[in-house]
Amino acid sequence: MDTSETFQVQFKGNAQTYFGIWIVNLLLTIVTFGIYSAWAKVRTKKYFAQNTSIDGRRFDYHATGKQILIGRLIVGGGYIAMNVLFSIAPIVGGALFVAFMFAVPYLINRSIAFNARMTSFSGIRFGFTGSYWRAVLVYFVYPFLSLLTLYLTMPFVSRAQHRYYVSRHRYGTAQFAFDSKVGPFYKAFLLAVAWVVGISVVGIVVVAAMIFGSPAVMLDLLSAEADGNDLGIGHIIGMGLFSVLILIAILPAGYIYQAYLRNAVYAGASVAGGHSFTSVVKPAKLLWIALSNAAIVVVTIGLMHPWARVRMARYMAASTYITVEGSMDGIVGEEQEKVSALGDAFTDFEGIDVDFAL
Amino acid sequence: MTLPSNHYGQNNFGAVDGYAYAAQLSTRVSARLLRDAQGLRLVDQAGETLCTGAPSERERISGGPCLMTFGTAWTFDTDDIQGVELLLGPSDDDWLSSLEVWHPRLFAVVAGCLIGVLIIWKWGLDILVAGAIALTPTGFVSTIDTGNLAAMDRFLTAPTELSQSDQDMVRDIFAAIKDHAPYAPYGDYTLEFRKADVIGPNAFALPGGTVVVTDALVNDFNDPNIIAGILGHELAHVSERHSLRQLYRSLSVYVLIAMMAGDVGPILEDVLLEGSALASLAYSRDHEASADVIGIKTSHAAGYDPAALAEFFEQLTEDYGESGPEWMSTHPSNAERIETIKKLAAEQ
Repeated sequence: MDTSETFQVQFKGNAQTYFGIWIVNLLLTIVTFGIYSAWAKVRTKKYFAQNTSIDGRRFDYHATGKQILIGRLIVGGGYIAMNVLFSIAPIVGGALFVAFMFAVPYLINRSIAFNARMTSFSGIRFGFTGSYWRAVLVYFVYPFLSLLTLYLTMPFVSRAQHRYYVSRHRYGTAQFAFDSKVGPFYKAFLLAVAWVVGISVVGIVVVAAMIFGSPAVMLDLLSAEADGNDLGIGHIIGMGLFSVLILIAILPAGYIYQAYLRNAVYAGASVAGGHSFTSVVKPAKLLWIALSNAAIVVVTIGLMHPWARVRMARYMAASTYITVEGSMDGIVGEEQEKVSALGDAFTDFEGIDVDFAL
Repeated sequence: MTLPSNHYGQNNFGAVDGYAYAAQLSTRVSARLLRDAQGLRLVDQAGETLCTGAPSERERISGGPCLMTFGTAWTFDTDDIQGVELLLGPSDDDWLSSLEVWHPRLFAVVAGCLIGVLIIWKWGLDILVAGAIALTPTGFVSTIDTGNLAAMDRFLTAPTELSQSDQDMVRDIFAAIKDHAPYAPYGDYTLEFRKADVIGPNAFALPGGTVVVTDALVNDFNDPNIIAGILGHELAHVSERHSLRQLYRSLSVYVLIAMMAGDVGPILEDVLLEGSALASLAYSRDHEASADVIGIKTSHAAGYDPAALAEFFEQLTEDYGESGPEWMSTHPSNAERIETIKKLAAEQ
């Protein structure tokens, strides 16, 4: 069988059904003082996984609420104990915190491995083999070194991180691989930087023109400064301009970077057997979806969150293709060791995203 | 008890189509779950039996497929939900799925969430905090004092340079205030002097009852009435257990929000965190105001002039100015405190 066939990832979830799951999850989480949140997480992840498929083969998520709850209780207890220790004996607490920092790479590895093992596709689980020192290197040492080069080497760091993440995953017994030139990573980085610089220059010119073109504005600014009043009109205009600058210069740059980065990572990834991936996320479209989602969620005090999330998932799925060499049949799974959700609870708590997500 | 509805359809003949996967193999098998005269079984397209009997597990999230497991050998999934219900009857956790269905009832669920958050906010947190305080052993709180004093001596403060007569004066005031202060929950109130230029003229209380007075306070405000007012205020913090309350409250809020984070989404989480930070500032301002009220009573009872504290805040405002808008501060504005102090002092 030398035929290769390309499939688009399908996401069949919809805002109505997810809304019901979401709001019931929230209610049960509130009435149980947060305990149900573990089962809520499982239900949400199952919903998104089971509604995602490639050529009719589904993803699935297998962690249990009990597992997640135990992990969360340990991490939550540790967090409280650490804070209490800080208030009793700040010096001992500080020393312990430093010791704890050394556990972070281990916890991140555990979390990636947990998410991989709890995710299946076509009946077979994923897996991940971490390495403590590689994780220290790619997540802590490289970013620090990149700081010394004023972040000009950030694309190399990013490539190293994604190589670590992708190539240490496996699907059943089939190993993932990652191979990419650094060019696409620089493209993502430079386009994002170019956007920030370009917009800032344009912004400064426009603002300068406004101020010098309109004496009234300038007078207001000057008199506000003369009053020495911090909350004067000059201050408010300044804050307003600053938010606008963030909105049109920094935020879009983030999405430009994210879109090109995702495309680069998918282009570089493959699975043993010759299966490869393609991502065609468009920065402008991604930006539009993200910004309009955020605006609608805020205006509806959160009630449209399920709609926004489903909309994003649908766009991401539709922008993702897998090219299968021969067939996806015949891949063998492997025996699973028992895993605890400790690392997963830690990354949830810290808001670190390690999801094995399409 | 087995309800009649649980038996509904359980002996119907029929079939649902879907895909089956053998354990540990990604190979997709077009299959059908079938019940005929030979009983319930899973068969492939050629009619070969893959396994017999009812599924050992059956699961469905609203709006998704129905997934079944047959022991450790096979899994089977299908989109034909109705077919499965006809063949096997409704599933066990149907109450959850039917609650999740798109239905006007969800309005009640939304309202329930809002009411739940309000209740937790208004009473739940106070109950949690009160419970935690009741469970806190006295020894633990005294350790907070010694631990923090040690840390401050290392990083923030230096030994006092006050003259013996200044120290004696403050000690006498402290002794008088202590006699009229409310109950000390974690052992006797004690007084410490430290030189701490970074925090200026100041005094603060640790939760176990240790009150620290800075050299700058005694040097800049060498008025027994002012010092009495400040000490009264600090002892009120200890007696009311304000710092423990704030610690427990902010911890519980943070843990609760972190638990919900995955579900409310990143935007709402930020709103909640910012909101709770502002609310904890308001909580702290309430504590300051209540310590002012109790402190004034104490210093008046001990024979000092409580109105002197107003002069202290007037001087502070003159020297340092107001510190930004009140809603962003842990303390009420000086102007407001001055007004309250004058009013309360006049009432004594």
